[in-house]
Amino acid sequence: MVWPSVFRCLTIGPSATLVPVVKVGTMEYRRISDVVWELAPYGAMTVPGRIFASETLMELVRLEHAAEQVANVAQLRGIRRASFAMPDIHWGYGFPIGGVAATDVDAGGVISPGGVGFDICCGVRLLASRFTEADFNENREAVMGNLDQSIPRGLGKGAIAPGSLVPEVLTRGAEAVLDAGYGWEADLERCEEHGTSAGADAKAISDHAIARGGGQLGSLGAGNHFLEIQVVDEVHDPFAAEAFGLAEGMLVVMLHCGSRGLGHQTCTDQLRVMGPAMSRHGLTVPDRQLACVPVRSPEGDEYLKAMAAAANFAWANRHVLAHSARQAFAKAFGISLEETGMRLVYDVAHNLAKIETHDIDGRPTELCVHRKGATRAFGPGHPDLPEDLRSTGQPVLVPGSMGTSSWVLRGVVDNPAFFSAAHGAGRVMSRKQAKQREPGRVVRDKLEAEGISVRPGSIGLLAEEAPYAYKDVDQVADVCARGHLAAKVARLRPVGVVKG
Amino acid sequence: MPYRVLSHTADTGIEATGDSLASLINELAMGMFSLVATIEPSAVERWTTVRVESPTPEDLVVDTLSELVYLSEIEDLVFCTFRVDLSPGALSVTLEAGGVPVAAIEPSGPPIKAVTYHRLVVEEREDGWYGRVYFDV
Repeated sequence: MVWPSVFRCLTIGPSATLVPVVKVGTMEYRRISDVVWELAPYGAMTVPGRIFASETLMELVRLEHAAEQVANVAQLRGIRRASFAMPDIHWGYGFPIGGVAATDVDAGGVISPGGVGFDICCGVRLLASRFTEADFNENREAVMGNLDQSIPRGLGKGAIAPGSLVPEVLTRGAEAVLDAGYGWEADLERCEEHGTSAGADAKAISDHAIARGGGQLGSLGAGNHFLEIQVVDEVHDPFAAEAFGLAEGMLVVMLHCGSRGLGHQTCTDQLRVMGPAMSRHGLTVPDRQLACVPVRSPEGDEYLKAMAAAANFAWANRHVLAHSARQAFAKAFGISLEETGMRLVYDVAHNLAKIETHDIDGRPTELCVHRKGATRAFGPGHPDLPEDLRSTGQPVLVPGSMGTSSWVLRGVVDNPAFFSAAHGAGRVMSRKQAKQREPGRVVRDKLEAEGISVRPGSIGLLAEEAPYAYKDVDQVADVCARGHLAAKVARLRPVGVVKG
Repeated sequence: MPYRVLSHTADTGIEATGDSLASLINELAMGMFSLVATIEPSAVERWTTVRVESPTPEDLVVDTLSELVYLSEIEDLVFCTFRVDLSPGALSVTLEAGGVPVAAIEPSGPPIKAVTYHRLVVEEREDGWYGRVYFDV
């Protein structure tokens, strides 16, 4: 379907030209503040839709179906405040990518696996280091070569850790692989949920899912997953940067991946159960991918147990990969793991549903907060943050596209979207379009010419992840700051990428 | 129309038609794996069998394709040719899938993570069966 192109501009005041409304199909998103656009409830919507975007980003939203998905999510039973979309919003399946929805648990509010996604607990991990860009340049080939060999990725099997660890990983997450010799004890303090999701039940994970995960513990996967070597290029908040362990000029390592086939299969299994269960609970949804059940129901309980177990696989997966990255650096520099100084800055998920307490109409209310391609962003003082991050707020990791910058943000106290922020740049171009523009080898050559070493899982697939296939991450970070979703801490510039 | 790739910002879809539900499933399966690699049927090295029973044609399509995604990952194969047998009067399918080891192919797209219900259509029309499925990649 091609949406009609209507984009009205009105002059407000003597000098400011602001777009007051953007029409997407028959929907009107009205600007209610600098970077917030609201769709008033209509039809079965019980709350408004609210998109955080600049005018430029809103123009991109208009070109696809994500705004329609924001309206669909606003129809979920028990949803409170609004169906939110972060500035990296784009067309997903069921939920938009960048979607945030909180449902009132005690008012029959629902949980939807589509609001978490197939890649349960997909997330981002950032490691600091004692290295500078000059250090990296001296050992660039050795580091990239070691990472190329030690990071399993792309199509097919390959994992760092043995499948025999999976049963324990399902209940204990990162702690289980730590006991098996991967990572450092101090890492757990800097993981969201300490790297272990509570309430996990391994029995809620199918044999199919365990079989898929058995050969993938410690692997990146493909698509938009990556391990990137970056330099802290700009520090915007020296106090927070220091608390996070970052400093200008520091070499850092960012990795993005999730629960692999185990998570994908778990979502598939749970969606199969939820379809028939919906009619028993008197629920209907405008898209089957939004299938849902009350949080307080046997099926809801089962999903939460399965989701937590799959999340534990994801925490452990990133833990194992980070350990392997440390080994690659240590070997390249001929030093011990500890001497690399590759401490964990933070590990944060962007595909999860969580039971959290938030203020609704002046009352603390238990909510099921779905973040589908959105990052939790607790502000300063939140009790769930580690002691040393209480004064700054939670680190929020926003990777850019391959070849462009990434951002470290921090949570703020006045976040209006249930303490959520963006999770990346957000795609703007389909994979097919991207491949038609330039072949993978050209994309690689251009990145290499810019000083970014590239080790792709497949040279052909590199084309799909070209920088122009994504939105401008600087704009996404800017809207996060202007919309009080999160504040800027540091900008990171890539110097090497190991691509899934 | 055998099958056609549908554009999606982050993921990918396939739409297809078939004389029967069995031929539609065959086309959708071929379309799904065509997103991963282009393989000549003559290159098939191994066969595997899938049996699926579902309550509706929509579910049968999603469940069968999901089972193929699972088997592809477990057996480290990319499938390219299929023999679909639909039990008469029942929504039960036996499908033989022929494929090539992952190590032997050059991927043309990322692996399929999962089969979604997003904008799913499986319906019998006057001129045969039509299906539309989006995949998480």
